[in-house]
Amino acid sequence: MRVDLSMPWLGGFAGVDNYVKMGADPRFWNSLWLTLVYTLCTVVLQVALGLSLALLVLQIPRGQGALRIAAILPIVLAPVVVGLFWRTLVLAPDVGLVDVATRALGLGSHNWLGDPQLALVSVIAIHTWQWTPFAFLVILASLSSLPPDVFEAARIDRASAWQRFRHITLPLIRPALIIVVIMRTMIALSAFAAIFAATGGGPGTATEILNLYAYRTSFSELNLGYGAALAMVLLAITLLVSFVMFRVRRGR
Amino acid sequence: MRKAWRLRTLVLVAIAALLLAIWAFPVLWALLTSFKTERDVLAYPPTVIFEPTLRNYRDVLFGSASLLPNLLSSVIIAGASTLLTLLFAIPAAYALARLEFPGKRASGFYVLATQMLPPVGLIIPYYLVLQKIGALDTYAGLIVIYLTFSLPFAIWLMVSYFEDIPREMEEAALLDRAGRLRALWYVILPQARGGIAVTTIFVFLNAWNEFLFAVVLGGNRVRPVTVAMFNFISVEQTQWAKLAAGAMLAMAPVILLGLLAQRHIVKGLTVGAVKGGGRR
Repeated sequence: MRVDLSMPWLGGFAGVDNYVKMGADPRFWNSLWLTLVYTLCTVVLQVALGLSLALLVLQIPRGQGALRIAAILPIVLAPVVVGLFWRTLVLAPDVGLVDVATRALGLGSHNWLGDPQLALVSVIAIHTWQWTPFAFLVILASLSSLPPDVFEAARIDRASAWQRFRHITLPLIRPALIIVVIMRTMIALSAFAAIFAATGGGPGTATEILNLYAYRTSFSELNLGYGAALAMVLLAITLLVSFVMFRVRRGR
Repeated sequence: MRKAWRLRTLVLVAIAALLLAIWAFPVLWALLTSFKTERDVLAYPPTVIFEPTLRNYRDVLFGSASLLPNLLSSVIIAGASTLLTLLFAIPAAYALARLEFPGKRASGFYVLATQMLPPVGLIIPYYLVLQKIGALDTYAGLIVIYLTFSLPFAIWLMVSYFEDIPREMEEAALLDRAGRLRALWYVILPQARGGIAVTTIFVFLNAWNEFLFAVVLGGNRVRPVTVAMFNFISVEQTQWAKLAAGAMLAMAPVILLGLLAQRHIVKGLTVGAVKGGGRR
């Protein structure tokens, strides 16, 4: 149903019409799929990279402080400036750093934000770059509070590095790991600012995740009823996913 | 053996340096931009060689659109909301991590509910509530609103750190007839200081960078630096150099806090390593 903002009283109650319409709306299914891909990729990358980096940094004898400070830089810098940086300096065709690198490697020049498939990769890369430091710092703090004598004992028992990681480190930092996954999933599901600044959901609908579709429907096409229905679906998904994750958290 | 060790360290340092570069690069670029004239900023392709100028910083600090009052506003809002968050979140997180009480699971889950709603959906209710109690455009109003998202974040992050700590450590203290609060203060807090430091950094950072609520619920009297910086962006033209100078200025307090807080991240390890099992 359309809600006309200038004369909202002409509308009336739509019942479940908006939700019925969704089933036959290919743009909705597309946005749902993109939300899934975007969330899965960014969360897995952030946690995997953050964990590896934290394990690596703990091995470095000196200068850890510099790395910990460097890690907060991408998040401290004002978001508008970050958006500009990526668009004009890193991903711009011809002069962007990524383009220079791919051409040097013989992979040719690409339109990183203009090509539909690459655009999705680009927004995932931006999000991962900016928020891996969060996973990194949270996990680093968790790792550094572990009692060292446990590892000492394992080393004496000749446990291999992988065994030590798998059976000692991983269970000990489990609470921190899971909370990072929960928090970052919730953020990724309702991601907005970074994608909006980089591509605006485009080209076409190539990076239009559910939240952006809801926003565009409500505020560009001014179809408030359908936009709100889309937002409710997003909320339901977020609640469901968080609930399941909390179940996983408790089950030990 | 020794040679292999050296090679390993070298590789580690190389990877670390690469990371440092990837994360620090945009900041260096913004730093460079902040010393350019507006004309040099727009040079295409971007240049590294230019005549540096301090005009942007002079304008941003002492010009008609000085950011200094806004910086002060940001410090008050982010500082107060961070302190209050820690004050409430530490006991709350301790309770969720250690105590048993009816409704614990449900309350733990619903604490996070505000994090699940897209912020845009909360704006109108917040506006109406603040308007009713006459707290629009006041420090108190904005600080309370910031608590609604920083508290759930801080509580859950700290629950995970508190759960990391072996129960035996605090049981020893409890046997010695220390109360729960004393155990929290003398056993849990020192042990979880790294986690608390990380939490503090991100709570402050989130409050400092917040934009949406600050625009809608603040505005005239209370105007943090993130909002004020938007003066440099307009429909006709964007003053990138001034924006960059403003962004550098706005980064300073957060970096300062980061420098102070990050030291604690490693403390747990070194203290434990020196004293070994003697702590138990």
